[in-house]
Amino acid sequence: MRAMQEATFLILTALASGAQHGYGIITDVQEISGGRVRLRPGTLYTALDRLRADELIVPDREEVVDGRLRRYYRLTPAGTTLLAAEAARLQAHAAAALRRLDLAGGTAT
Amino acid sequence: MTDQAHLERGYRRLLAWYPRAFRDEHGPEILAVLMACVPDGQRRPGLAESADLIRSGLWMRLRPSVPRSARTVRAAVQFICAGAAVSTVSLIIVLAVIVDIRVRHAVLGHRLIAAQVSQVNTSVIMQVIVSCLVPVAVWLWMARANGRGRNWARILFTVLFGLTTLTLAGVIPPPVINIASSAVASNSIVPPSVITISVGPMVSMMPFIPGLGPVVPVLTGLVVPALAWLAGAAAMCLLWLPASNAFFRSQGSLQARRRAQRAELERIR
Repeated sequence: MRAMQEATFLILTALASGAQHGYGIITDVQEISGGRVRLRPGTLYTALDRLRADELIVPDREEVVDGRLRRYYRLTPAGTTLLAAEAARLQAHAAAALRRLDLAGGTAT
Repeated sequence: MTDQAHLERGYRRLLAWYPRAFRDEHGPEILAVLMACVPDGQRRPGLAESADLIRSGLWMRLRPSVPRSARTVRAAVQFICAGAAVSTVSLIIVLAVIVDIRVRHAVLGHRLIAAQVSQVNTSVIMQVIVSCLVPVAVWLWMARANGRGRNWARILFTVLFGLTTLTLAGVIPPPVINIASSAVASNSIVPPSVITISVGPMVSMMPFIPGLGPVVPVLTGLVVPALAWLAGAAAMCLLWLPASNAFFRSQGSLQARRRAQRAELERIR
């Protein structure tokens, strides 16, 4: 399996606990990444379109708020599985890095 | 006009970079996100935001839209792109050969007047370049159309591939452009260089120019067509696998639905 791009990983993570609309995903991704990743709308919708084509997410419902359309997206079972696998992979890598730093007498605690 | 309306109009204009089908489906939604992201008091789309929209819109237009699940079609599109790459290589070789001809004329001190050399070479260059660009363009067009699941593209690709195969097998004569350059011939300095170019869809057989050694004819007359043919054959087999049929069928019904939706919208207006 090829490593997932960070933006993709963060978008899927934003959807992990429930359906979100576009603007919700942007603010959520910003929060998850500690303010480091700010998705632009163009980039976000390119990613959403690809994730939809790959059947990792599906549109959930639509709402109209202040005369503006909000479409919510949620993970499909395939999306959930893929995100879980990627998270486990990243965790394994991070754990290995920390372990080795420890062995080398590094400063990791 | 209020700042809001002004800004919205700016964003609508930028959304025109997206393909129509995508805009119809996601336009209002993206607009809502764009308007929500803007800090108060901004009157026109920011530079970075605009660049991002243009880039994404163009990408939506150019990218092949094959989902990961349609693995066979993805592979087929990759083979077609490989065919385009091979054709591009042959174009580069031909350009190198042309430059070489010019150099040769100069080095060997052929008593062609400069005008004759440039006249000969210009007509040759034009025809060769065009006949090399055509296959590249056809490959790319086929990659795009097949990647979008257009069934006619699959059929057309097969027909073109069949014609090319028959041409290569010598069953049907290649469409040939003969450039017996009168200027060179009449001076009898070089034997009339008959430049044979297949304008067939995928293979371009390159100029067999006397005195250039065996490398170029072998490369352009044998290796390139063989590679192009192999890429075409692989792509064609993949396109007609049962797994690919499902993708073409689903894209077909999707397009029909979009057309119906659009007609409905027009009717309401």
